[in-house]
Amino acid sequence: MSEISIIAASTVTAADLPLARLGQRFGRLDQQSQLALLAVASLNVNFDELAGDRIGICLAASAGSLSTDVNFWNGRDRVGGPSPTLFAYTLPSAAVGEVAIHFRLTGPNLCFVGDDQVILPEAADLLRRGGAEACVCIFCEVVTPECGRVISAPPVAAAHALFLKNRGEGIRTLREFDRDMKALCALIFQTKSAG
Amino acid sequence: MREPEVVIAGCGVISAVGCGVEPLRAALQNNASGLRAAEKFSAPRFQSNIAGAAPRNPDIDDPAWFLAAEALRQARAAAGQILAAVPAGKTGLVLSTTKANIEALERIAAGRPCSESARRHLRADLLAADLAADHGARGPVQTVSVACVSGLVAISQAARLIRRGAAEAVLVIGVDCLSDFVVSGFTALKALDPQGCRPFDRDRCGLSPGEAGAAVVLVRADRMPQSAVTVRAFGGSNDANHLTGPSRDGSGLALAIRAALTAAKISPSEIDYIHAHGTGTGYNDAMESLALKTIFGEACLPVSGAKGMLGHTLGAAGVVETIACVLAMENNFLPGTPRLSLAAEGTPPGLVREPRTVARLKNVLKLNTGFGGMNGALILSHV
Repeated sequence: MSEISIIAASTVTAADLPLARLGQRFGRLDQQSQLALLAVASLNVNFDELAGDRIGICLAASAGSLSTDVNFWNGRDRVGGPSPTLFAYTLPSAAVGEVAIHFRLTGPNLCFVGDDQVILPEAADLLRRGGAEACVCIFCEVVTPECGRVISAPPVAAAHALFLKNRGEGIRTLREFDRDMKALCALIFQTKSAG
Repeated sequence: MREPEVVIAGCGVISAVGCGVEPLRAALQNNASGLRAAEKFSAPRFQSNIAGAAPRNPDIDDPAWFLAAEALRQARAAAGQILAAVPAGKTGLVLSTTKANIEALERIAAGRPCSESARRHLRADLLAADLAADHGARGPVQTVSVACVSGLVAISQAARLIRRGAAEAVLVIGVDCLSDFVVSGFTALKALDPQGCRPFDRDRCGLSPGEAGAAVVLVRADRMPQSAVTVRAFGGSNDANHLTGPSRDGSGLALAIRAALTAAKISPSEIDYIHAHGTGTGYNDAMESLALKTIFGEACLPVSGAKGMLGHTLGAAGVVETIACVLAMENNFLPGTPRLSLAAEGTPPGLVREPRTVARLKNVLKLNTGFGGMNGALILSHV
């Protein structure tokens, strides 16, 4: 079985968003898409080294798009009616679309609602089956205070990203039982900081 | 080592044309439409009140649960002993949805009563967990949400779980409900056809929202005593072009079709029928026609779509439309394209207006595309 390498890792939070320089459209994205895009940009990977259609994206969103859903629904009675722009972000996969557009990645996409345990096994499976040569993995945790009141969850705004590649030279090899992507990102960050 | 084949052992559906697989088969063979005027979506708040409403239980304030559980009950019954023979720990569940029980948000915001179940199922992952617990699936559980491609990705995910040995059977459920939330959103985008959607029609000008619960039971082929429709291959791609509009040239969808054909190890000439995404929006149908031309050239391949019958059922679309393909393959007919009057210029030359019988459908291509530039192509085979 071919080896899969972790090429880069990143973690960003809402505090990092004001420093982002990711083009004019960035300010119009919902928070989940902003965090996902910033996390992927923070990987500092040159995606142009591979064909765009050979790079997949695998994302999980812990609370789906509920924070944006609440935001959209709260604005339904405003003058002019509900926002068409915001409606486009009432899908967890909107963040996948924004990453694909920004980095011109035309490979296959996976998007899950729930914790991060599903991301690495599914991304690895995609690579091992030859569906892609590399995969951008993203875990989004976005619960606004308003959303938190609806689903009884604490507010959070963070995104974690990993870049996996078949047979690449990277930080370390992806292990068969690697599941906890958030912890893996933190571990790699700590290791790099210590180094 | 050769990977196991994955077959469809049972189907269940509740949609605008009724509760059960038989009403869907009858509607497909009669080119019937389930789209109707729905008073709650009337002007001026909504752009169109034409929608594909499924039968609902008015006593249940958790329609996502109701539709999903009903479809799942039917599919499990259809799979019968084949599914019953699979250990619970080797039975997985993959849920496909875009909005889960979003109606609960409307209730909460308006201060209307909302049951604990309805509130809980705002979260798609909890809806999946509860469906799995209630239907004896103790294996892997996943919640897929890839816009309107969700259903095809969910079927592909389920097949992957079986092929890599994580499960021997997987329950795949697609569900999305008609809601003020969704119809308000499409109204804001001005994406609804006031007369009801007319896929591939010269005068098409938008989609019609629909709702459905649809379920298929996938099992390892060696568990199936008789021949069945095989989930052969899936290809996915992203346009990387625009969040709500498809690429104008159809190149993204063509990429997904090519990936599916490569994975299935078959050539375009071996496809017998294409079930299109066919939303009825100007851009989608034109893009889809171009993608088909790119892959199939001027070949007069039969193409049709079911959204004039069911409406656009979003996260359920890929599953319910796959069931339509299975019914066509099992009963040797080509479904038509309900509500199509005059085909638009540039539409596929083999566009099927009315259903007709055929000798056999061996390989069928099912397409879906979605917001975020997602494209999916699923190949089903019946040998």
